[in-house]
This record gives sequence, structure tokens and C-alpha cells, in this order.
Amino acid sequence: MSSTDSYDASLDLLRRLDPRRLKEHLQNLIKLEPSLAEDLLSSVDTPLTIKRDPKASQREYLCCDYNRDIDSHRSPWSNEYYPELSPEDLKESPFPSTELRKLEALANDSFDIYRDLYYEGGVSSVYLWELDEDNTDDFAGVVLFKNKDQSSSCWDSIHVLEATRDGSDFTYRITTTIILHLDKGDQMSLSGNLTRQTERTVNVPAAESVTEEQLSVAHITNLGTLIEDVESQMRTMLEAVYFEKTRDIFHQTKNSAPSAEEMNKEAHQELIKGLQGL
Amino acid sequence: MSSTAFDSIIEQIVSDSPSGEILEVYNDLLAIVGESAKESILDAIEQYNVKNTVAVDVDGNSVLLSKYNKEGTKFYDPANGISFSVDHLNRKGLDVGPYSVKLTEEQQSLLESLQKYASTNFSGDVTLAVYPIADSNKVVIILISTRNNPSNFYNGNWKSEYIYDIDSTELTGTIDVHVHYYEDGNVSFRSNKEVEIIKTKDVVKTIQEIEKDFEDLLDVSFSELNEKKFKTLRRRLPITRSKVNWGKAIGTYRLGKDAAQGN
Repeated sequence: MSSTDSYDASLDLLRRLDPRRLKEHLQNLIKLEPSLAEDLLSSVDTPLTIKRDPKASQREYLCCDYNRDIDSHRSPWSNEYYPELSPEDLKESPFPSTELRKLEALANDSFDIYRDLYYEGGVSSVYLWELDEDNTDDFAGVVLFKNKDQSSSCWDSIHVLEATRDGSDFTYRITTTIILHLDKGDQMSLSGNLTRQTERTVNVPAAESVTEEQLSVAHITNLGTLIEDVESQMRTMLEAVYFEKTRDIFHQTKNSAPSAEEMNKEAHQELIKGLQGL
Repeated sequence: MSSTAFDSIIEQIVSDSPSGEILEVYNDLLAIVGESAKESILDAIEQYNVKNTVAVDVDGNSVLLSKYNKEGTKFYDPANGISFSVDHLNRKGLDVGPYSVKLTEEQQSLLESLQKYASTNFSGDVTLAVYPIADSNKVVIILISTRNNPSNFYNGNWKSEYIYDIDSTELTGTIDVHVHYYEDGNVSFRSNKEVEIIKTKDVVKTIQEIEKDFEDLLDVSFSELNEKKFKTLRRRLPITRSKVNWGKAIGTYRLGKDAAQGN
């Protein structure tokens, strides 16, 4: 049995099992086949967790595999790992380059404003990293949002992105997963995730001809516009799937015979249609 | 890992599967753990089928499996007076033979009334059962309605199960609904209802009322989840009602907000 087969089979399984218990199933699959751990943990999006940054007035930030090292997570506010890592471990910990960290800080500021405008609450975090040490133009990253209400309903957006230069163009590739859990508390839950990929190529002036700041602003504008569009489309898609599609499928199992009153109404409408057709 | 721990994980995975996707789950598990785990997976599927009262094909007839019509490793269908073994993975009846216990006239007429009710109130593939409960004057009534559409990435399953005590005329039961949609994702809708003891002489009419009420309640709940939960988690448009003005000037939103708050 090749490992690709068991990896693909694991992804297929996770698409079938109860999405509310995704983390549990993920752990179980890793117990069954420990060699899958790394691939599964880095490719399966699970609900984001929240930590507080003691160096930024306990401000909340989001945690996922992309800002994790050992059991610590890097905060986008202070750029430090919490819980604090030992100096030896810290030497090996990933950090963005000084230039990329500037872009990351700007991205965090901008997406925090976006979060406020659309979510009116919640937490956002952006993490960036180099794709290739020798090529300082290209980068990858993840833009995260999480918003909960007082009950257990929750929205998690995970946008994994790659920005690569080709001449005077930058191509932004984004894989978006939105995990949405809705709970009415009375033995009814509507829960799951949808994923889609988007790609957009935009003309961006060469690094030599603009200042670093202008380039950063161009990236944030391009990424911001793209993520705003993707989230709007996905929100429409979620609404269609969660509230129209599942309800329609439910009625494909149970559909009460219309009552006499409804039958009369229908017959009446048919009659009107018939008259109008004359 | 101990074999008990292994079996327990397999059982957890199988028991969490949507009813219409057991074969795919079986194949996925085989690809992950290998052929040696086949028996363990098949055991879990057998338990699943009985617990979830799945329908199996017995010589062209759809028959429900349950703990109420199980005898040793075999199952029986009192409506047709047959007993059979089951290929649990493919949901097929095998070695069909005659069975002595049949439904009484009263039970048979209850089954027929239920079939009539189901034919106008359920839109999926319906399988019904009335099984007498041994050493009692009670029957179990099970109704399954499924709509499996793997080519469009969805499955729906309705299950209602009641126990009716003919002497005391008391009816109790549960309804479970599960919808799974998995195109570009994994969305699951689940709901269930406990039916408290109701005294009734007209079982079919009472079941019809309970199930119509539940159906109506779910319709209302879908709207409420949309209006009261979904819409408050993320707005369709920003508070400003127009798309975000990205770039250097984005900070002015914050200035504007601070000014409005008098900071």
C-alpha cells in the first residue's frame, strides 16, 4: 500500500465523517497510520484556536499549523512565540525576514480593519513566510479570521496564499476554507466546511522602480481586494448550501402531502394561469 | 496499538459515517490500514447496520435490519415469513428460507396503513417495518427514507422509530434526520427528536401529526439559523455599506471610527 493511497483515502474519509468531530477523526487517523501525521496536519484545516500575546496587552491572535513551532505559536503582534521557547529551540524557529515582517505587520493592520468592518468582532491574524530564500520577491502566507457568537456558532476563514512574480506581473493563488458551525441548541446542528481556489494576476511594478513601502501597499491592496471578493462569494455559496441545499435534500426524504387548503390554493393558481393563457 | 484500541478507532470511524457512504468508508479504511483489518471493519459495519436499521435487499424486497428481527447471526422478515443471512457490506440478503413467525392480522393491517401514509408523505426510498417484540404485546415501528445521490455529492436519511404498546395504547419514539453534502467540502445537517409517551388508538394518524410537526419545525429552524446566527457572524457588506478601500488610506476607517466614538 503506497502512502499516497492512504493519504488520499484519509482526505476522502475526512470529507465523509461528521465535520463537528474533525479534530478527533484526524487524531484517530494518525493513530491508525502515524506516517500520515505530517501531511495530514499541514493540509487539513481545522477550527482555529486563540491565544493571547502578553507583550501586546494580552491581545488575542489565531493559531494554526502555519504559525506553530513545537507547541508554541508565533503572535503577529509582537512576532514572538508563546508559550516562550527555550533559546536553543528558538534558534531553529521560523521567522519571516525583516522585509517580509514589515509586510506582515502592514497586512495585520489592514486585515484587522477589514475584520472590524465585516465581522464587527472576532479575531484576525496574518502570517507570511518566504517561498524560496534566494528569491525575495515571492512569498506565501495565510490570512485568518474567526468570529463566534455567545452560543457555539462559529465562523473560521482560512486563506492560504502564494504570491509569485513573473516579469511585471504578480500571480496570487489562494485556497480558501471556511469552517462554519451553526447551532440552535435544540438538537439541531448545521456544520461543515467549504473550500475553493482562486487565482488572480495583477501588474505590479518591479521592485527597483518603487519604494519598498509602495510595493507592500500594492500587495496588500491586491490581496485585500481578492480576499474580500472570495469571502463575499463564499458567503453567498455557504448561504446557498447551508440553507437551501440541505433543506432541499431533507425534503427529498420527507415531504408531507400538501393539506387540502394548500391543494385548493394550488388549484386556484393553476386556474388563474389557465385563464391568463387564454 | 492494542487490538482493542485499534478496533475501537475503526468502530468510531464507521459509526460516524453517513448511511449512504459505508462502502466508500470501507474502501478508504482498507487503503489506510490494509487488508488485515478487513474483519475488524466488517464487524463494525455489521453493528452499524443493526444500530441504524439500514435497509437490505432481500430477493428484490427492501427489509430493515434491527435488534428486533435478529436471531443469532440471521434476520427475519415476519411480513413475508422469511429468514435470511446478510452481506453487510453490500446490504444484500442471502440464504433466504421460510420463517415460522408471521405478523398477526392486526400488525399486518398496521403495516399497510403505514405504507399508505408513507407513500404520500415521504419522497425518498422508503422502507417500513412492523416487528413484534417478543414476550409482550408491543410492536416496534421503523420508517427509513433515504435519498442517495453520490453523483451530485449528497445523501439524505430520515429515520423514525416508535414502540407501540397495544395494551396501554402508549406510543414513544425517536426521529433522526441527517443530510450530508460534500461537493467542495463537507457539510452536515443533523437533527433529532425524542417523542414522549402519547396515548393513542390511531397510531398512524398520531405518527403523521408528530412527523408533520417535526418537518415544519425544521423548516422554521433553517430560517432562524440563517436570520439569527449566520447573518450575525459575518455581514454581507461592511458597516459602511460599500467595499473596502484598500491601500494606504485604509487607516482612515479607524480614524473615522475613533472620531465617532469621541476618542
